[in-house]
Parts: sequence; structure tokens; C-alpha cells
Amino acid sequence: MTAVLYQPSTHRHLCATHLVSEVEQHVAETIAAKNLIQAGDRIAVALSGGKDSTALLVILSRILPAWPDTSLVAITVDEGIAGYRADTVRAAESLTKRLGTEHHLISFRDIIGEDLDALLKGRETRACTVCGIMRRKALAQAAQQTNASAIATGHNLDDEAQSVLMNALRGDLPRILRDTGAGQSGAFIPRIKPLSAIPEKEIASYLFVQDIFPVLPECPYTKYALRAEVRSMLSEIEYHQPGTMQNLILSKKTIETCCAETPVMEHLHRCRECGDPCSGDLCQFCQLRHSLGK
Amino acid sequence: MKIILPDQEMRTLERSPGTVEALLRALGFNPLEVIVSRNGTLISETTSLMDDDEIRIIRIAHGG
Repeated sequence: MTAVLYQPSTHRHLCATHLVSEVEQHVAETIAAKNLIQAGDRIAVALSGGKDSTALLVILSRILPAWPDTSLVAITVDEGIAGYRADTVRAAESLTKRLGTEHHLISFRDIIGEDLDALLKGRETRACTVCGIMRRKALAQAAQQTNASAIATGHNLDDEAQSVLMNALRGDLPRILRDTGAGQSGAFIPRIKPLSAIPEKEIASYLFVQDIFPVLPECPYTKYALRAEVRSMLSEIEYHQPGTMQNLILSKKTIETCCAETPVMEHLHRCRECGDPCSGDLCQFCQLRHSLGK
Repeated sequence: MKIILPDQEMRTLERSPGTVEALLRALGFNPLEVIVSRNGTLISETTSLMDDDEIRIIRIAHGG
């Protein structure tokens, strides 16, 4: 049987059948080990239509029956990015139809009255910051509307390693430690990352061997982001030094342990305008609204 | 050997460079950032290539 994937860190070759079963098992183990899902949970999957969220929805739809009385709902956020988002929304709709999953669509127009392209005119270098804040707001709103008890995002191992490195490069220790899923119960709808232990290439391969790999363009604002540079740099290092990404993620856990007794985390308040939990007087979304003149 | 690049450009090589990994590095790709298919079937970077193979290189887009 032909090998479809080589794992440099373990020197193992996997055929399609074993790749599929191992990825799904690995996700189930991550969920169980970190207690990400409990019986009775309603999981809102942040479904962009891209490869990671596609894999996440497919995998959860297969393994969720192991947790009793759970249900899935997919949430797609339409930022209104021309030449990009329409295709991915269509892919998301097609997938949820195929899987028979409830699908909820929310747009930036719904929450702020304008598309991202219009908001970013002259501010393109802030694209990911602006989009990130608004997307989190939109997801939280949609998750509340659909009575979700947790939001599952498709962050993979590469994403997690990149985030650790990016925050280190920015000198932002609180951000390295900040985990919106932990320690804030009652304030935020918890976020879970079931794919966080799966390398990006394995996710792409998992989808391709099952003929569900979405061939879609990359977000046109990617080129403005620090993450694009970090991604490229880190994957080159990983190629030459397999295991580097895993080491970065382990370093985050070490920092968390060292800082367990040290108050580097901000205390939570309620935004004086919208009431959402935040670290200051105004939440990031309301601060952004003001800065955009909304 | 026929090679279809991520931007759909086609290249031809008379001789196989050996493995998928060797091909990717010769073309300037990081094996971690792409997946490769031969005649529609996914193959790993340790796979040996033949002179008459048709190879497609697909870039793994960031974001998901």
C-alpha cells in the first residue's frame, strides 16, 4: 500500500486508511485528555469553509456520538471580503448540507453595518487585527443565539506554534498565557481547539485522501500579517529540525506552570457599552467601533 | 515527467530527480507547505518518482 504521509518527527509512513483513523483518534484523545467536551454540550463549530474547519466538522460529526447528548451547529462568519469569502461560504454550505449539520450564518454587516473591505480602506495593514476582533464578536454572538455551550475552532498544531512565537516576538507574555477557554467560565463561552495537536499537513492530507480537500484561495489580507512571515520561517525551521513546533508549544506549557502563582493575567470587567467581558473599561470590539467611527 | 505547479503552470523534466522531496526542494518548495499527488493519488515526500509520472503540487493555504 502506498504511503500518503511521512511523519518526520516519528519517521513513520502512513497509508490513507491509517492516516484517517489516526487523525480522528488523535483528536478524540485531545478532547478526552483536555476535557474539552462534556455530555450535554452543544458545540458550535467555527466553519469558514477552509481546510481546518472542514476537517474539524467532519471529524466531530464522526466522533461526537462518543459523548452522550451532544449536538453540533456550524457557524460561518461572512466578513464580506471580495473575491474570497463568497467561495468559502458556498463550500461551508455545501459541507453542512452533506453532513446534515445545522448551519448558522452571521456577517460583519449584521454586527457593525459594513463589510471588512469597506472598513479597511486605508487601513489594510490592520486587517488581521480588525478582522480578528470582529470575527470573535460575531462568533460569540452567533454562539449565544444558537445556545452553544462551547465554540470549536480549527486551530492546528502549526497555528498554535506560530502564535507562541509571534507573542514572544512581540514581547507579549500575558498573551502567551491567555487562553479564552480556561478559567473564565461564566464570562465567555469557552473556546476549544480539538485539532491543536494535528500538524497542518496531516489535516490537508486527511481531507485529500477522502476527496474533501477544499481548493480555495487564501485570504487576500494574509500578506499584511506578521503570521505569514512567522509561518514561512517556522515551517522552514521545522523542515530542517523536526519537532520544533511541538517544542514551542511545550515551552508555552512550561511558562504557564512557572507563572501559575504570578498575576500576569488581567482581571475581568464588563464593557460599559455592550456588557461583554473585557480586561478594561471598554471591550476590544467597542474600542474598534469607536476608532472606525461607528 | 510532467509537473503541475500550484499556480497551474506546467513544467516538464526529462529525468526524475529521485524522490518527491528532491523534486520539491529543486523547485523551491518546502515539503511541509504542499501536498503532492501522482495521477490523482496523494504520495508522501519519500516516494520515488518515475520519468513518466504526472505530478501535481498543491499549496496548503493558510487559514481554515
